[in-house]
Amino acid sequence: MKVTLLALATLLIWTAPALAKDPQPQYKSIEAKHFPRAEGVELSPAFSDYLYAELRAELTKAKLFGQVIGEDEVVDTADAPKSLVIVGTITEFKKGSVVKDALIGFGAGMRSLKVDANAARRSDQQNLTAIHVHVKVSPRWDEKVMARFAAKNIVKQLKDSLKSEAKAAS
Amino acid sequence: MSFGRGGSMKWCVLIICSLLAANARAEDPKPTPENTIHVQLAEAVKPQTFSRPLKFFLVDVVDRSGSAQPMMVFKPRGGIFLDRTPTEITRAGLETCLKSADMLAKDRDSADFLLTVYLFHFGLSDSFADFFGKVEFAVALKNPKTKKSQQISASGTSIAGVAVRKKNIQKNVQEDIENAFGDALRNLLRGVKLRDAITALDVPADVPEAPAQPAAAGAAPAATEKPR
Repeated sequence: MKVTLLALATLLIWTAPALAKDPQPQYKSIEAKHFPRAEGVELSPAFSDYLYAELRAELTKAKLFGQVIGEDEVVDTADAPKSLVIVGTITEFKKGSVVKDALIGFGAGMRSLKVDANAARRSDQQNLTAIHVHVKVSPRWDEKVMARFAAKNIVKQLKDSLKSEAKAAS
Repeated sequence: MSFGRGGSMKWCVLIICSLLAANARAEDPKPTPENTIHVQLAEAVKPQTFSRPLKFFLVDVVDRSGSAQPMMVFKPRGGIFLDRTPTEITRAGLETCLKSADMLAKDRDSADFLLTVYLFHFGLSDSFADFFGKVEFAVALKNPKTKKSQQISASGTSIAGVAVRKKNIQKNVQEDIENAFGDALRNLLRGVKLRDAITALDVPADVPEAPAQPAAAGAAPAATEKPR
């Protein structure tokens, strides 16, 4: 009994710091902008709004930033060096083919979306990372699924890049 | 009354039509206390500060959504309704935010700027397997002294997860719309567009009022079309 209690207490003491540790956000704020479409990209008008909303939701989930602010929001000059802005463009969209997908398979006829984005520091507009995302989904799926996958990929790449940058700095 | 071959056919058609009509009427949801949600700002948005203390007066909130049922935000599963019209919710939200920062003028005469809100969208938008809340409006900002005005747009979005139970759907929809509404107000009150418009329209307090101009020259933009 005593041994079990002792083991439990040790375990608690050992895990307590990890539980209590609240990771400090690396950046005070981040602003995501609506991604415009390159010439020839035919997507529904609601797509940009949805991608923007998904991107903001994913950035909030990432917990790397103190605050995810709205587009064109005023930021204090003092906070600008610790604030990021994500800008990007939807460079390519192929709507795919259900027939090719059904007859050939193996990735043929898939719906695809390419997005290029940059995360820049607000104060000096210095590019911190360049993000290239290529999403492929079934042509039967809604285009909003692509927006979700694209947003997830963008935030994952951003997270990895910022983490490696922080490691290199320390 | 004939019950011959032609007669029975007519009766069949009549019965089918009446059944279809009854079915269609039953599918149209009606607001009840159980399916009505109360949307309000969780926390007042603090507006940005300007070079001098300014007072705003909210003249009107105009619904330009073109929706026949602006209070119905979700149609399936018996529907979800707002307890107030979107214009009332927007007015209350905007006034709360301005009041919290002591920027709400008591009347039109004491205001530095007059605001007229044109509401284009309030509620849920088309989405895939989740709730996509969207609030979109334009604000005509008018300086009553110079009679000059500018229009600025603001929008807010939010995404909430799906739910199976009706109670949870209602909760998620309510949270989603509240978040989108808060986001839209934040976009307006803390946005660069408002700051730029104020900078362009604001004049020092000691400048005399401009003489009366013809109505068409200084009138606020019609805002009949959605800005983009």
